[in-house]
Amino acid sequence: MRRLTGVLARGVRRVMARADAAMNRLYGWRHNPLYMSGTLAAVSLAVVLVTGIYLLLFYRIGAPYASVARITDQVWAGRWIRSLHRFASDAAVLAAAVHALRLFVQDRSWGPRALAWVSGLVLLFSIFVCGWTGYVMVWDVQGELLAREGARFFDLLPLFSEPIGRAFAGDRAIPGAFFFLNLFLHVALPIGVGLLLWIHVSRVARPAILPPRGLTWGVTGILTALAVVWPVAMAPAADLFRVAGRAPFDAFYSFWLPVVRPLPAGAAWALVIVVSAVALGAPLWARPRKAARQLPSTVDERLCTGCEQCYLDCPYEAIAMIARTDDRPTLVAHVDPDLCTSCGICAGSCAPMGVGPPLRTGRDQLELASSFVAERQSGARDVVIIACGRGAGGVGALESVEGAPVHAVQCAGNLHSSVVEYLVRSGVGGVLVVSCPPRDCWNREGAKWLEARLYHDREAELKARVDRRRVRLLYAAEGERHAVLAELAQFRAAVATLDAAAGEKDIDLSALCEPVHDGAAP
Amino acid sequence: MSAALRPAGVLVALLATAALGALSRVPYTGRRGTDAYVRLAWRTRGERVETCRRLSPEELARIPAHMRREEECVGHILPYRLEVTLDDSLATRDSVASKGARADRPLYVFQEFPVAPGRHRLSVTFARLGAIPAGQEEHGALPERLELDAEVTLGPRQIALVTYDEERRKLVLKGYGAPVPR
Repeated sequence: MRRLTGVLARGVRRVMARADAAMNRLYGWRHNPLYMSGTLAAVSLAVVLVTGIYLLLFYRIGAPYASVARITDQVWAGRWIRSLHRFASDAAVLAAAVHALRLFVQDRSWGPRALAWVSGLVLLFSIFVCGWTGYVMVWDVQGELLAREGARFFDLLPLFSEPIGRAFAGDRAIPGAFFFLNLFLHVALPIGVGLLLWIHVSRVARPAILPPRGLTWGVTGILTALAVVWPVAMAPAADLFRVAGRAPFDAFYSFWLPVVRPLPAGAAWALVIVVSAVALGAPLWARPRKAARQLPSTVDERLCTGCEQCYLDCPYEAIAMIARTDDRPTLVAHVDPDLCTSCGICAGSCAPMGVGPPLRTGRDQLELASSFVAERQSGARDVVIIACGRGAGGVGALESVEGAPVHAVQCAGNLHSSVVEYLVRSGVGGVLVVSCPPRDCWNREGAKWLEARLYHDREAELKARVDRRRVRLLYAAEGERHAVLAELAQFRAAVATLDAAAGEKDIDLSALCEPVHDGAAP
Repeated sequence: MSAALRPAGVLVALLATAALGALSRVPYTGRRGTDAYVRLAWRTRGERVETCRRLSPEELARIPAHMRREEECVGHILPYRLEVTLDDSLATRDSVASKGARADRPLYVFQEFPVAPGRHRLSVTFARLGAIPAGQEEHGALPERLELDAEVTLGPRQIALVTYDEERRKLVLKGYGAPVPR
């Protein structure tokens, strides 16, 4: 199962990498809608909410189809608002599905992220049910079919003394309570959606709920334009005495009909249960074997100065500041292993290199950089690439690119600035750090903090003594090898104009690290 | 986005939005074919029969004081036999019994029979199984035997509904195929 999933995920990721690269070319990484799929779902839901309030004013339980038809007849408002309501709900499902697929293939569905995964699926299901009830509200042929299918499912449960489906037999009028209950669900579910959204982001620090303003208004505007130019028309009204013929259906909410309708209700239930169990169980079956999992970060209390930077930078709120066990006056960082995803961002943010996942702390990184330099003996005008192992044009998996040796790190956000300093001081011509775009960091904020440390003096900053002309940061998605090659060529040309780097021999690694505290009071 | 790629970006956004609009109204046929249907659907209280006996003083003593009743009755709704003949061939012969742990829920019938569009001879019989003990007959309750013989003419995908009219106490036709135009 794991192997099959891995093969499938890699295949999807390859396609996604190309799509990301194409979107980055068209819109730039700041406005790439694929990076913003989760927030686009939230924006779409906000549009649904606002337009829904207007529609609710005119909807009548006693005359569902006629009232929706009246809304659709309002050329200046109702027609496009109803259409926008529908298109935005379609966009919400689409964006949420892309978001889920993206996180799954990026291996971000298990461990401490399991809560977000499960709540996200429940959220998607709630949106879906909300849409279902919305279509039933219209009481056109699609609404009738969805209602009948819902009744068919529930009739299999031993809950009712007679089939619910009989309500649509036509021997008596459909009870008003049915449309009232339907409307109630349609209005009440979004409240649940709000609660689920809160749970969904509860384990991340600084959750991004909305995309950049330009994208927010762009998506809202283009959906509105669609609603005005190509509004939704009324489908034929539900007729209990006629089998529904060919009619327009919303594929985002009715895509399952062709699969499920031919099945007996029991088989349909079984299918739904199996699909739900597989999806919800992803945190269990998609996670790597225990031996292959990255261990959570640990804190070396002797090194921790209590600066709180790791606590501030951790994207998953896995670090707390607690009382020390020694006699120093500061607090000490403490990592909750149940919340730690082993992203390693704390390793990059810790100036004294006292925190991080095993073998990926700043000190470990310096050791690796030292070996890297010793093995290669780069020239005074050579460029070395430090590449994120995930995106970065895929160069993290290579030994070298166009002759430039590659030093891979698991996530660019892990990278301690001392490694960059070490490489520059060891005499390489320049260091090109290639990171995933900030919006696509698998660890949420790695690229953001990296840039802040390299260029904006965020704690654990790249020291002023490092010649900035020899350091360059590039954002490149997995499918943007061309961008890496272009930047490498430019950087090489720039480095060639500099004086040959004066390499230092025998750099004292311990001097780059702050001294270990022996436990005595300072 | 570079200026050269701006038109391409706008075009892709427009195409994606148009695709969303198109997927929002994909033509779909709920049930393929042109079959018409004869639907039987009704719900009725049915005939409840009870057998009662007086409890002995010992039995009464075992029951909490606030729950004591001198007479204990066990009852159920009498089942009916449903027989449907379509164009002189038997479509179903089924017994309709009350549901529920005490078999006291109302009787219901809910069945559909596909037929080719056109004219059809329909015969429905709903007959009580078992007799009502003397003295337990209810005024206005479900008749012992309900019958409907009719000819229905149905177009493609039309549905004729046979249902029980409680006021007239007989089976009637509704929907397409009913004698009175809808």
